[in-house]
Amino acid sequence: MKTIRDPENLEGKTLHHFVDVSNQRVLEVGCGEGRLTWKYAGASFLTVGFDPDHSALRIARADSPYALRDKVRFIQATAKQIPISKETFDIAILAWSL
Amino acid sequence: MVHALKEIHRVLKPGGILIDLRPVEENWSVEVFSSAGHQIAGRLSDLPIGVADDKAAFKAISEAESLGWFSKQKDGEFGFFYVWDTPSEMKEYIDEEWEDFEKMDEDLYRKASSLWASANADARVRVRVKMWIGTWKKK
Repeated sequence: MKTIRDPENLEGKTLHHFVDVSNQRVLEVGCGEGRLTWKYAGASFLTVGFDPDHSALRIARADSPYALRDKVRFIQATAKQIPISKETFDIAILAWSL
Repeated sequence: MVHALKEIHRVLKPGGILIDLRPVEENWSVEVFSSAGHQIAGRLSDLPIGVADDKAAFKAISEAESLGWFSKQKDGEFGFFYVWDTPSEMKEYIDEEWEDFEKMDEDLYRKASSLWASANADARVRVRVKMWIGTWKKK
């Protein structure tokens, strides 16, 4: 069974319409396997995605495009306690996670 | 949820932007589409858990706003399609992955199957998920 999600990339287009991530430090809350991450991270200065699901993060890391490996990081965490210093990010994206 | 928003507020720079992007329940439509166009077979049924989750999420962000952490910038909606080659694949996915928040009635499944069977050879099926996006600025 194959499920195709958002074949027209309306999610990515809408996100870019709402916010300009160019050269910004972006935090993605609930990044999962990185499906959304890859739609914007290339334009960011740095993207950190976190998720409590270790298996999903393993897929995200494995799927990381080589060109983005210097600017994308994935960490295992929950939003209840984000292991990051205060006032670090320009943009935070709650990705299907609130 | 509110505690998570407090954490996000903490790690954002002053003036930073919070984006809330997620699906919202609204009896998502089931469609059969092909190169000839699309037909709506009907709508899924929202289940109480999904509706309650939406309500809780909107309440949390509203509370964060009223606490003075964020000010709303703008919001909008768009469609997000889940696509399958056949109605049976669609039903299997919905029954397994969305069992807590969306339900496909048998009548709807039969209608989608009938439309798909009588449509062009390139026909596929899809669910149009309603997506919500909102942006808030850290105060």
